[in-house]
Amino acid sequence: MKELESVLKEMVSEKRDIILSVLFGVLAGITAVGLFAASGFLISKAALLPPIQTLAVLIAVQKLSSLTRAVSRYAERYYSHRATFTILGNLRTSFYRRLEPLAPGIFNKYRSGDLLARIVGDVESLQHTFLRVLYPPIVLVLVFLCTIFFVSFFAIEVSLLLLAGAVLTGFIIPALFAVRERRLARTVRARRAVLSTEVTELLQGYRDLKIYQQLDEKERLLAEASAAYVSEQRRRELDGVRNLSVNTFATFIISWLVLGLGAWLVTEGELDGVFLALLVMTSLTVFENAAPMAILPGFFEDSRHAAVRLEEVVSEERVQAESGMPEGPVSIVFNDVSFNYPGEARPAVSGVSFELPAGSKTAIVGASGSGKSTLLQLLLLMYPATGITINGTDARRIDQESLYAIANVALQQNHFFYGTIRDNLLLAGETADKDLLAALEAVALGHLTLEDQVFEKGENLSGGERQRLAIARLLLREARIWLLDEPTSSVDPVTEAQIHEQLLAAVKDGTFVLVSHRLQGLERMDQILVMDEGRLVESGTYAELMDARGYFYEMKQIEQAVLA
Amino acid sequence: MNPLKGIISVPRRTMVAFALVAVLMGLAIVGQSYLIVDIVDRIFLKEADFKSILPMMWLLLGLLLLRVATTYWNGRLGAKTAADIKQELREKLLAKYTRTPVASAISGQSGEKVSVLLDAVDEMDSYYSQYLPKVVQTTIVPLMVLVVAFSYDLYTGLIMMITAPFIPLFYIIIGIMTQKRADAQLEKMTAFSGKFLDTLQGITTLKLFGRARREEQAIEASSHAFRDATLAVLKIAFLSSLMLEFISMLSMGLIALEVSLRLILFQSITFFPAFLMLVIAPEYYLALKEMGAAFHTGRGSVAAAKRIASELSAEERTVAFGKLELEADGPPEIRLDDVSFTYGESFALRDIEMKIRPYEKVALIGKSGAGKSTVLQLLAGLADPLSGEVRIDGRKRHDYAEASWFKRLSYISQHPYLYAGTLADNIAIGDLRTSSRAEIEEAGRRAGLAELASTLPEGYDTLIGEGGRGLSGGEKQRVALARAFLKQPDIILFDEPTTGLDVRTERLLREAMEELGRRATVVTVAHRLHTVRKVDQIFLLDAGSLIDAGTHEELLGRSEAYREMTKVGGGVAK
Repeated sequence: MKELESVLKEMVSEKRDIILSVLFGVLAGITAVGLFAASGFLISKAALLPPIQTLAVLIAVQKLSSLTRAVSRYAERYYSHRATFTILGNLRTSFYRRLEPLAPGIFNKYRSGDLLARIVGDVESLQHTFLRVLYPPIVLVLVFLCTIFFVSFFAIEVSLLLLAGAVLTGFIIPALFAVRERRLARTVRARRAVLSTEVTELLQGYRDLKIYQQLDEKERLLAEASAAYVSEQRRRELDGVRNLSVNTFATFIISWLVLGLGAWLVTEGELDGVFLALLVMTSLTVFENAAPMAILPGFFEDSRHAAVRLEEVVSEERVQAESGMPEGPVSIVFNDVSFNYPGEARPAVSGVSFELPAGSKTAIVGASGSGKSTLLQLLLLMYPATGITINGTDARRIDQESLYAIANVALQQNHFFYGTIRDNLLLAGETADKDLLAALEAVALGHLTLEDQVFEKGENLSGGERQRLAIARLLLREARIWLLDEPTSSVDPVTEAQIHEQLLAAVKDGTFVLVSHRLQGLERMDQILVMDEGRLVESGTYAELMDARGYFYEMKQIEQAVLA
Repeated sequence: MNPLKGIISVPRRTMVAFALVAVLMGLAIVGQSYLIVDIVDRIFLKEADFKSILPMMWLLLGLLLLRVATTYWNGRLGAKTAADIKQELREKLLAKYTRTPVASAISGQSGEKVSVLLDAVDEMDSYYSQYLPKVVQTTIVPLMVLVVAFSYDLYTGLIMMITAPFIPLFYIIIGIMTQKRADAQLEKMTAFSGKFLDTLQGITTLKLFGRARREEQAIEASSHAFRDATLAVLKIAFLSSLMLEFISMLSMGLIALEVSLRLILFQSITFFPAFLMLVIAPEYYLALKEMGAAFHTGRGSVAAAKRIASELSAEERTVAFGKLELEADGPPEIRLDDVSFTYGESFALRDIEMKIRPYEKVALIGKSGAGKSTVLQLLAGLADPLSGEVRIDGRKRHDYAEASWFKRLSYISQHPYLYAGTLADNIAIGDLRTSSRAEIEEAGRRAGLAELASTLPEGYDTLIGEGGRGLSGGEKQRVALARAFLKQPDIILFDEPTTGLDVRTERLLREAMEELGRRATVVTVAHRLHTVRKVDQIFLLDAGSLIDAGTHEELLGRSEAYREMTKVGGGVAK
């Protein structure tokens, strides 16, 4: 239960809807019991040929309770679902509040892209915690208490029997199955992971598997993995069925005992026979409230698992940086910086030293995997590393956000939100429409209007358009340092040159760092840092590097040999 | 209701078993009610002593057990049916995907396929494990109850029969009403619920712009808007259950009224049948309500079923192979004889003629989308032409045995797939049984992997993860080369990298291809000037057609398109 603390906290804040749903839930439960008890009593009384008024009163009671029951059920559903969705909203915001300070470093740690979808899914599965896990026992207890109290007027023995039944079906049996459920669910998840890997390998490695004649073997493995997964799922389902059956059987036994005990009490003369039908009907009806308890273990395990996983994501300690971004133009020094990504054996960069004087224009070049993007991430303070100083202050002491406040950054993947072009540009701050249009013009996106729709993740824009839009967004914002990671890799060379022109004009005397795969248009840079396998192999101006005929020169030769 | 009709079906035996279980369940329900009523009747009115009802108590216990047993059996049967169907669906999908290599190799939307194979199939579970048995059960049980009602009290039977149709009718009416309302709200709902994911995905960008904190309120606002939109739809659904509740309550009330009036006023019925009617009426209406709920479950699986059905009915193009063994001495001659190929709308080849002699070095060039990769797929035997023939030593390629053909072939792509396994496993790809460790390491050395292996903690035995995490683009390329060195093929199909790799890998790639080419025919999708300058033949493709063929000098002399393409890096090639 400890794991679900966060959900409990959110629940407490939704008191009103929760109290209302419990209230109506209990009312519906009690009136159902009352209704069936009344029917039993009505028919027994009728058999004794009472005056017609008695019957009329009984029938009226019955109608009233059926009406109350139906309406309460409606109210219960409404309020409980409202509470559920409100809790979902609160869970989202509270989770976001905890995640926000950890971003963006945390996303590099979980490199697999599905982390976010998983988070969203987990938060969503927590919404059931209230309705399917916490709510049923509360209603169960209250309805049973009322019923037991009511029955005790007729036969205290029967009410004790009901109490035992409530404990058994409401708590003991679900608890037993919850333990098993945890184990079964774990195996199902493990098998699913195996299947998922097999499927991905088969589909993505199809060509190699076929040519190396390994496809049949792989297919066999996949079918096996699927069978193992399906059979574990089946075991989990069967356990659910077993749980339901055991629970139902327990309720039947209790009702059976109520009937036997009641009959015995009547024959012993301790109970009026006219109440026997009432007791039996009461018992059969009250256990309907125990039915949701049978599916509770499954939901409990899902919620628990989701809560644990979410906790793992946000539990990370973040070292609070004590210092803000130092004043003045930005100069940066890397002194023998090495860095390993968490969980990676090989360093992504090692022993790198360079200087970025204030107002300098620098390009970082190298092949994919050479460490150039890692350098940019270190510049963005996404990871702590020793040896970096910004304006004389140790970078580890500088607060990320104070750097971002004076930086213009374009990453390889820039996010665009669902909305209009204007919405996405205004992320840079309040700006007049004519300036927005000018920015679009500057990056050769003049064909777009501010009202044009942008789909989720900018899916309706081409790669080059997305890159240009990201730059337009930066052009609207003043910054002391610019950090760009392959900002124009999908843009044609002519437009690229034009955009570089615009960028350099906007940067003015700011410090400028450009990570680039292409080697064109680097003639105007103050220095070029050449990376290979995590090491800085060369640095200098374009002319110097070309004259040196070293690594950069060779890269340039290769690039020139690539066909259009 | 089920788009998988005709693709997959539940065995008749299972359906019979479901029906049988339902009948037993009906018997248990009716018998249980009968006995309870009889026991109460005897004790209460006939003043029987406790001992005389004991046999009936035991019988009742037996029936209760039977009812539980049928519930269990039903669930078990459902779980088994669902498991069988899921396995069968996965096998069908798998067969489909592996039989349709073009789709896998060219369109390559593997994410969607993984999702269909995993999630969509899982979503079908509840259809077979819950919906199907429930439908059978809720058809049979009410009928049995109705028969009992008619045989004991005509009027109750009539009330039940007349009121019953209202329940499904109401479900349908409400269903149609909510559907419209739901459709109207759906867009809003997806937009609101997507906001959370959208914000999470954009959190880095938001932070860089100093806006991340402000988004908290936006998430809250959209979550609440989502709640309100959803509740608006749910309210109608809840209202429909309220109405159904009213209908069944009203009907049960009618029955109670009818039997008690006849019991007291007209005395035309005794306590036993009257009480029996009261006990079985709820079972009847409960079953009807469950039928409605079951339809809801069933509808939930329809979307998943549609996804599966559309995958299974996608166009299928198998690649044919025969039995002939390829002759073992040296590379064969390969010809494309008037080959055409289409896939969807975007990939097309028209009337391609090519002749590649043994040991020849050949380059395919053209703009992206010209059809270079498709030619490579056809040469590899990963796809069959729509018309025309691929001929190997003059015979049709599909006369040869699959294993005999692929044994002689290597395909070095830009993005070789790395499997979860050791570096050695990945070089050998399943060839572990036939190649020794020394051979694997030698292949690694020739592909320039020795240095990498020495920096890895366990050398060639280091696990390189799913999708080859931890290796750079250049290193992956070397693994692909090592595979070829180990295999020593007669035909090499080589997809040259489009962008520059690191200097060392570039150099290595050039040397390695030269070495591999000494004993093989090499067909390269070329992106390097030095490659096209050296080859024996260049095939120039444009929009699916072969527009020219010849050596570098010949093409420079006569082809404007070729001159344009080789005018790289600003300078003109000699």
